[in-house]
Amino acid sequence: MNLRYMMKELYYQRRRTLTSILGLSIGISLLIILNSLSLAYRQAAHVPLKEIGADITVQRSGDVPKELTGAVFPCSAVTIRKEEVEKIQKLPGVRGIGTGLLLWVFDPSRAWIVLGIEKENSIGPSLLRSSVTEGRFLEDGKPEALVEQAYARQFGIKVGDTVSVTDKKFPVVGFVDASRSAKIAVANVYLPLKEAEDLAVSSKDLQSVSQYAPGDVNLLFVKVDQEKITGLASEMKGILGNKVTVATPDSFLKLLGSLFALSDKFTLAASLIAIIVAVLIAFKTMAGNIAERAREIGVLKAVGWTNRNVVSQLISESVIQCFMAGILGLVIALVAAYGLSFMKVNIPIPWEMSPTPHFLPGGGDQIFKTLRLPVHVPWNLAFFAILLSIMIGGMTGGLLGRHISKIKPSEVLRHD
Amino acid sequence: MTKSSILSGTDLSKKYGDLEVVKGVSLAIDAGEFVCLVGKSGCGKTTLLSILSGLEKPTKGQVILNGKEIDGASEDELALFRRENVGFIFQSFNLIPTLSAWENVALPLFPIKMTNEERRKRAKELLDKMELGHRIEHLPSTLSGGEKQRVAIARALVNHPKIIFADEPTGNLDSSTGEAIMDILNKLHKDEGVAILMVTHEVELAKAANRLIRMKDGEVVS
Repeated sequence: MNLRYMMKELYYQRRRTLTSILGLSIGISLLIILNSLSLAYRQAAHVPLKEIGADITVQRSGDVPKELTGAVFPCSAVTIRKEEVEKIQKLPGVRGIGTGLLLWVFDPSRAWIVLGIEKENSIGPSLLRSSVTEGRFLEDGKPEALVEQAYARQFGIKVGDTVSVTDKKFPVVGFVDASRSAKIAVANVYLPLKEAEDLAVSSKDLQSVSQYAPGDVNLLFVKVDQEKITGLASEMKGILGNKVTVATPDSFLKLLGSLFALSDKFTLAASLIAIIVAVLIAFKTMAGNIAERAREIGVLKAVGWTNRNVVSQLISESVIQCFMAGILGLVIALVAAYGLSFMKVNIPIPWEMSPTPHFLPGGGDQIFKTLRLPVHVPWNLAFFAILLSIMIGGMTGGLLGRHISKIKPSEVLRHD
Repeated sequence: MTKSSILSGTDLSKKYGDLEVVKGVSLAIDAGEFVCLVGKSGCGKTTLLSILSGLEKPTKGQVILNGKEIDGASEDELALFRRENVGFIFQSFNLIPTLSAWENVALPLFPIKMTNEERRKRAKELLDKMELGHRIEHLPSTLSGGEKQRVAIARALVNHPKIIFADEPTGNLDSSTGEAIMDILNKLHKDEGVAILMVTHEVELAKAANRLIRMKDGEVVS
């Protein structure tokens, strides 16, 4: 392989070189973009759960309350026993659990969505601590309430006011902007878990539908090892029975319905097509280029270049072109990824996880978590694409070089 | 083949399907001899030159070049043998358009392990001899026909060949440039002692040679 010859060939045959590079770079950029988009949808599907600090949420469905008075459980979130929580806690791969107690409270004058939350936990609704917009977060041992900011504005509630939930009064110590965080575990009023437990224990309607004891909850937020999400989801279903709803990032991905979100198989098939397109483009343009150089190859052989000399020269040219195509493809993909990252994606929240009673106005509407699609090109994908380009170059150069090197100099130099 | 023969061909034939373009030709060329192969277009002289230089295999017959029987050698053996023993000059120069004059001259040296400086030095010496020392960095597209052919001659000489095969070397040149090229070839064979086998259809040009071989319909007639 002669470097000087190679560089001059690529430089002076710019049209030829650029055609090859552009052709292959399209295939390579397509491959990178497809995979980046697929990855972005997957990452987007993690967001609703990630914002609440979890990888999995668990709820159990139950019967609809007979009477909608006082505190009741939503039919999509009934009692999960303390012992069941402990069993889940002990599953290998579970890193931690956050809990919540979601109640619908029907007072004569209004209906509240009340969520009992832990005060200190890095998993679950206690993360709302960072979403306090006015006043302060809940403090230990105090029967106090946080009110969702939009709800407070709607009903003219101020920090320092008192809200009555069933017959209990709670001073409002702060507002939280729940829209800043996940659409999961959104409520009108947030109470300490202990206070919500008391409301649940004392509600006859609630107890008649789903037996409840202090320490039980109806929302679980579970943090697990990423590679064990699917397996652990199955195990949790095994522990909690048929009526359980276990939401994982895959649940959101399925609801997205995008082609990229449908399955790994689609991405794999699309990637394979992109690779085949890239190989075909590289092969076709380079075959044309090399065929144009038949006479030149004849001269090389006439002046003493062996087949191996010819093949290695053509491979080196092809590898360099494909490497440059890989770099260009990567640059195109990076620019495209930047452009696509401005795209908004609406992730539907499963109805079971929607806290609003479906029979109230707007309660049946589909809730979405809207976010910018987190498109980026991971370094391992970039590395793979460049490596693939080099391999395509080696393969194309090798195959075409072997073919053209069989040319007889006398045939191509015969007539001047 | 005599002791002083650099090249000999015995009973050489070449068939393309049913068409026999070279018919039982035998010839020998001595070291340092300048031989012209003349004949009309299509009489088989270029095919014979290709067989004798190892670019093509004969259907029948034997070729001995610089003491080596080449008709049975593999492609790569032939390439290596050509690199060390043979120089070529073609009618249309066959320079690589992307390489400068000196790089074209050094083309046979590219597969050999040596530095670019060494290659350049050797190429420059030869281009100086061809009075092209001032054009070494020029691309073929910027050279005249005569200059291109002088670069091609320098390329034929770069590996110190024992014999040069020239196929209509003046065919694409005007008469005065053609004469200049013939002068160079004459000088080469006289000063350097390189054997030359030149194919031409112009009998006038062939007069410069030591010996003339005439071909007609694939056979040597005189």
